[in-house]
Parts: sequence; C-alpha cells; structure tokens
Amino acid sequence: MDYQALQNQYLDLAARVVEMAAGKGAVAEAYINAGESLNIEVRNQEVEALTTARDRGLGLRVIAGQRVGFAYTTDFSPGALELCVEQALANARMATPDEYNCLPARYPGYPQLDLFDPEITNTPVEQKIELVREIERQARAYDPRVKITESCSYNDSRYLVVLVNSRGIAVASQAAYCGASTFVVAVENEESQTGFGLAYGLRYKNIDPARIGREGASRAVRMLGAKRVNTQRAAVVFDPYVATSFLGVIAPALAADAVQKGKSLFRGRVGQQVAAPVVNIIDDGCRPDGIASSPFDGEGVPTQHTVLVEKGILKCYLHNTYTAARDGVKSTGNGARGSFKTTPEVGTTNFYIEAGTRTPEDIIKEIPRGLYVTEVMGMHTANPISGDFSVGASGLWIENGELARPVRGVAIAGNIIGLLEGIDAVGNDLTFFGATGAPTVRITGMTISG
Amino acid sequence: MLLTEGDLKAILEAALAGGGDFAEIFLERRRTTSISCEDNKIERVVSGLDQGAGIRVITGENTAYGYSNDLDRESLIQTATLVGKALPGRPRPKEISFNRPRAQVEFTIQKRPDQVPVTEKVALVQKANAAARAVDKRITQVTVGYGDVIQEVTIANSDGVLVEDERVRCRFVVNAVATDGKVIQTGFESAGGHQGWEIFASVDPEEKARQAARRAVMMLEARPAPAGKMPVVMAGEAGGTMIHEACGHGLEADLVQKQLSVYAGKKGQKVASELITVIDDPTIPGKYGSYRYDDEGTPGQETVLIENGVLKEYMYDYLAARKENRRSTGNGRRESYQDRPIPRMTNTYIAPGKDDPGAILRETKHGLLVKRMGGGQVNTINGDFVFDVAEGYLIQNGKIGPAVRGATLTGNGPEVLKIIDRVGNDLGFSLGTCGKDGQGVPVGDAQPTMRIPEMVVGGILDEGDQD
Repeated sequence: MDYQALQNQYLDLAARVVEMAAGKGAVAEAYINAGESLNIEVRNQEVEALTTARDRGLGLRVIAGQRVGFAYTTDFSPGALELCVEQALANARMATPDEYNCLPARYPGYPQLDLFDPEITNTPVEQKIELVREIERQARAYDPRVKITESCSYNDSRYLVVLVNSRGIAVASQAAYCGASTFVVAVENEESQTGFGLAYGLRYKNIDPARIGREGASRAVRMLGAKRVNTQRAAVVFDPYVATSFLGVIAPALAADAVQKGKSLFRGRVGQQVAAPVVNIIDDGCRPDGIASSPFDGEGVPTQHTVLVEKGILKCYLHNTYTAARDGVKSTGNGARGSFKTTPEVGTTNFYIEAGTRTPEDIIKEIPRGLYVTEVMGMHTANPISGDFSVGASGLWIENGELARPVRGVAIAGNIIGLLEGIDAVGNDLTFFGATGAPTVRITGMTISG
Repeated sequence: MLLTEGDLKAILEAALAGGGDFAEIFLERRRTTSISCEDNKIERVVSGLDQGAGIRVITGENTAYGYSNDLDRESLIQTATLVGKALPGRPRPKEISFNRPRAQVEFTIQKRPDQVPVTEKVALVQKANAAARAVDKRITQVTVGYGDVIQEVTIANSDGVLVEDERVRCRFVVNAVATDGKVIQTGFESAGGHQGWEIFASVDPEEKARQAARRAVMMLEARPAPAGKMPVVMAGEAGGTMIHEACGHGLEADLVQKQLSVYAGKKGQKVASELITVIDDPTIPGKYGSYRYDDEGTPGQETVLIENGVLKEYMYDYLAARKENRRSTGNGRRESYQDRPIPRMTNTYIAPGKDDPGAILRETKHGLLVKRMGGGQVNTINGDFVFDVAEGYLIQNGKIGPAVRGATLTGNGPEVLKIIDRVGNDLGFSLGTCGKDGQGVPVGDAQPTMRIPEMVVGGILDEGDQD
C-alpha cells in the first residue's frame, strides 16, 4: 500500500464526512485507522500458520445540542458513509445532554516522534520466519526437558491514523510495531510446566530471538516439581511481569472519569500518600520506542509525559477532553480509543512504574522467607473499583535470601491500596510487556493461601 | 450477500491455485447497537457496521490466512491468490460443487433487535438504572449496558460446504457501586442469549439491576474471605465458570493434540467422579453460546464429553478433526472474519444429579458457599485453575453464615473433578465471553449444586494467625 497516498485520500475522506455531519448542525470528528499486519506461527520448526491482513475503519463522533452520538463503519462507499452520518446524528438524539461534551480545537504543534522503522516492512517474510524458528531452537537448546511448543510467533503491523474534526484539527500519523513471543512446555516424568518469553517494540533489530527463547525455557524448567506451601503471611516479591499485571488493575482507578463517577479508589486523594515513598507511576504517550507512543491521542490532543504518583504521593489523574472540561483542567492527552469502533475514553498510553536503583538479587537477598511470584492467574477478576484482588499464584519460594524451590497452586489476596503502601523495594529492571511495564517490586507481607 | 455461488467458486479456486489442499471463505457482516448509561445519563449510543472476509488455505497441517474489508469479487480473488501462495504446494485441480448441510436445530427470533426502536432500548436501560438506584442510598453509581448484534455469515469451502446463517444476540449488563464512605464494593448481573428482543419477556432487567445493587450493598458489610483449604459448596445459581475452567478448555482437541492438556490421551479413562457428566451443546435454543452452525459451516451438535466420570470425547474443529481423519464436532469458532477458527466451547454444563440442593448444604458442617461465580482462568498444561467468587458465604453448621468478599478459589481440574462428592438435581446457567488465543466468543456455562470436599480459598489471614 502507498501510505502517503492513502493518508491524503483518508484526510480528504474524513474531512468530507465531518462536513456532512457539520452541515446538519453538529460538531463532528472522524477517526480513521487503516493498516496491514503479519502474523507467523511456528511449531516444531514448521510454519503452522501465516496470516496477512489489511483492514480499515472509520468512527464518527458528533455532538449536537450537548449530546454525543457515535457510529462506525468499515464500508467506505458513499452510501455507507452517509448512513454512518445519519446513525451518529440519530444516536446523539437519544443521549442525555451534558454541558462538558466538546471537541478539542487546533493545537500549535505535536511531539516529533520516530514511530516508523522501515526495517519492519523491508525485512522479507522468509527472514521473519527464520527469526521465529530461531526462538524455538533456542528454547529447545536451553534444556532437553523443553519438549513442547505451545506457541512461537512473530507479528508486526503497519498502520495509519487520521483524525479530522470540525474545530480545525486535521492530523495523521504513521507507525509500525513488531514483536515475538513464545510459550514452551518443560516435561519431566508426568509433570508439565509452561514458561514464556516475549519482546515487543518499535524496532525490528531489538527483537532478540535467543533471549526470548531462553527466557521462555528457563521460566518453564524452573517450575518443574512445583508444590503448594502452607497458608501463611510472608514477604512477596513480584517479578516485572507480575508487577505489570497488577498495574493493569491500578490504571482504571487513575482515569478521571472513574474518579468523577465515584468509581475510583483514588477519589479525593490528590496530594496524599497512596503508595510507599519508593513508588513513582508514570504515563508517557511520547516515550521514545514506546509501543503506545503517538504524537496525538484519539481526539487529536498532543500526548505528554504525566507523573501520576511521585514518591508515593498522588499528583493527578489522566484526562481526556471531556473529563478535563468537567474538572476545569487541561487534557493530559489520554483520550484513548480501543479501535475505530469505540468513542475515545480515558485510557493509559505507555504506563509504568519507574525503575528504582536496586538489583532484583539484592531485593531477594534480604528475605528470610517469602514468595517470588512469577505468574498470576485470574488477574482479570481483580476489582479495579473496590481494589480487592485474590489471584492464583505460582513462582519460587525464597529461603534465606535464595530462590529455593518452585511453588504453584497458591493464592494471594489483598487490596490494591494496601499493596501499594506495602511496597518496600523497587528494582532497577523496568521491563515493558507491550505498553505497560514495571520493575521487580517487594511487598513486606501478604497472605499466601495454600 | 452480494456474491453468487459462481463468485465463491472462483475465489476458492484462486485460493487453491497455489497448491493448497483445502480453501475456505468466511464472509461476515456484523451490525451492532450498544447503549450505555452511567451517572444517570445516557452517555453512549453507538451503532456500527463491520464487514469483511477471511480466507483460509490449508496445506497438510499448515494454514495460511488472510482478511480484508474489500468484499467485491475482484478484491477477494486477489486476497485469495495471495493467501494461496503463502504456503506453496503442488496445485491439483479440484471440482467444487456446493451443497448446504442441514442444521440439527432451527432457532426462531421473534423480535429482531433492528425492528425495535432505539427509544425502547434506551427506556429499558433507564428503567434498570432507576431500579438499581432505588435499592439503597449507599448505591453511588450504576452502569447499565445494552447491546445487540446481528451477524450475517456466508461460509463456503472447497469440500463443497456452503452455509448462510444469521446469528442474533442481545445482551444486558448492570454494574452497581456501593460506598459507605470508607469501602467501595460492586455488584454485577448480566443476561443475554442467541435471542431477539423477546429475551426481555423472560429476563426482567429491573430485577437484575436490583440484584446487582443488593449484592454491592451486602458486600460493604462482608468480611474478608478466610484463607486456606476448606469444603466448598457451589450453588446451582452460581453459574458454570468452574466447569468451563476445570475441564472445558482441557477438552478442546487442538490443546489435546499438542499435548497441552492434562486430559490428553485419556479418552476412555476415568477422569472424574462417577457423579460427573459433562456436555457441550450449542443446539439449546436461546442460550448465549448457541448456534445452528459453527464458524466453519458444520452443524452444531450435542457432545457428551465426560459420562459418569469417563472421558468420552474432545471438542473438534475442521483442522483438528482432519489431523485425526475424523469428523468435526461442530466446535470450530472464531471471533470475527479477522480470526482463524479454533476448537471452542459453546454451552457447557455438568448434567444434574440426584441430590436435593438444600440437603447438600445442610450436610456440610463448615466451609464456603459460593452463591455466584465471577470470571476464571486455567493453565491447561498442568490443570491448575482459579475462579472468582462474586458472592460467597461462610457455612456454619450446615447453615448460611456471614457473607465474605474478595475470595478466589484455586484448584487443579483433574483433582477437583475426582473428589466432587455431591451433585444436586438443579441446573443454573451463566453467560460470558470466553477468551482463547486472543479471540473472544460468547459462551454459556451451567452446573448443578455441588460439593467439593477441599479447595484452596485465597483469602486474608489476620496478622499472627497461622495454620
């Protein structure tokens, strides 16, 4: 696809759709997402599946009489676009008026970001297949007990985002990302355990197949022979992956809409201590090499670096244009769209706990007895509104500062606030898993059920 | 659909020109409406159209897949040609003649959701919002969502299968938030099915909303769940998450074939208590996981997976069945045209037993009563699973005791299924969106009241309290 031509074509198309809606008395915004993607899955050195795709879609938001309406379509024929405009306007008539419904006006400039690595699209498919095979070979070579590949894959995507509104914004951005992951199984006697390795980013050359394969293998092998431990309170260390999973539960509570609607744990707590002083939490929509980086958010607002929690103190919430208008502040550029099918809600971009200064080994060394958690199950059942969580956990038992033996089938439970307050050490190993990342963190004491 | 049988043949032939053994096209046109109410406001009314085609070519055991939103004959031939070239083989000319397999069941949609004025849908959402808020003054926020989907599909493959189908689903969800100044708790209820607007003749949205609100308020006073091993009674009305996680996923043939399931190689063996019979059945009318045909055009069927504790059958899609030179069980599903079909559950349930549910509770001295389950997850490789308890109570001398909150139950599928010692004569359904390989599909789950003599409850231990 000729992206430059497509960009111009879609800027025109979005402008036409906005005009159609504006002609009927609405403030309007059209968002178009279009792109291509590739996915390669390898098992036992064979290409098990290869998927190539092209897709596109347009989402139209209108505001008429302070009411919001939304409609989307993947059909760009004139008739379908007309219908989309009609539906958005009709939907607006059903909605409740709200004085804070508005669209942003034109901005003087946007962050300059390098989001397109030509190597992603220039590398031939054969070479990408070879990369996936190498991941699998590395995993198998790590230990003879690594016998089954659950999945081993590479995927990349090149895409174009166009956003035009009737208040003067007309922007476009092109980007690409790529990544690879593997889930492998180690088998010994009657027992099987899994482990994973992955890397996602904006640069093809940063995908290191050896590291991914070996990491998956080592995570699987070290779990062989895992057993339960008795119910007790003990120190708990989250590896970066597990800490990142927990961050996913914290994210919705930092969104201003949850706060405004009384659904956030952090309501009314700006300026207060909400976490231990070693904790800093950041959202950065323009982080170099961040997979969620973009010059503008889903409403055309420039992205920015936002410090949410600094030394444990809550500094602010994440805003889109609506929540910012309601609170009388500026949008933080967090008008996030899941896809062209959804309205821009408040969401995170590149969201992470800032790295500390201590090595993970150092953090573990001080623990006489505790659990190093490397996997949690049922994280999606944690309640971001109440903050209550109870999840299945597995990992390694810590004894006298050493990782002694594997543990599985236990549960850890608590409340997010208590967890954040209970963090007493943060590692220097910040690792991203997609757009969210965290370093190793230690919690003084938690209930482990076994 | 805009394409003729001749067009479909031309597309499949183009897909096979690269040397594939099997080619398939999945055309989808999905129209949706969704309404959400929060903060006492109708915030979002969204309607949309998503249409596209997925083309699949299988060579040996390998798959090439491609999709696009361009649905004219020429674009589809172009996509098919590209997909066909991805995994080259030796071209063998194949004569395709279509026939339409008969579904085992017909579903009647009494009132299509696109025939219902949006104002009526909005009114339903508003009534539910008001009903939830009227329950208690500690209800501080209510979110009500309504959604409907009309999905038209055309599925054609080089074996001659041609199916045109329409799936109609409605869904209603309510989430209530209660606050007493210090604690925030939530309550959730949902309803949905492969049904039109008539679903609201049997489901009362206002009553659902009140249930959600009452649960949120009750949880304010609930104590943290205990920690450790104890007997668990699962009420029939609790839903079917446990069976979905404890054994459903492990009986999907792709995972079994790849040795990724603890149930691999166990067909004909005893894998559960004799009290346990597990069935997957998309032909039950009106449930959330119901369909006439799966997403490969195979008619949906009832499959007995476990009978009186003995493993009888796995769930197959076309590719997994082909590897064993057998027939699909009609479990090949996909989220949309963007996804390859894989073996999935539909409506999965443990068949009712003989015990009186009340007696099961009375005869349990102490433990945890699960009145409502939330979501869950399983590691199919070692069988470890978890599920969330949305509403739970302590059992004290065979009676329902105080409510507890924040519990997750952890167990191992094969171990739990073997020790279940009581199965009630009731059956309660729940619905959900099941995720696998990044694809979400609608499912129903159900189970009777059951007792598990020992499970790990992931609760909170008071300081100094050790066991």
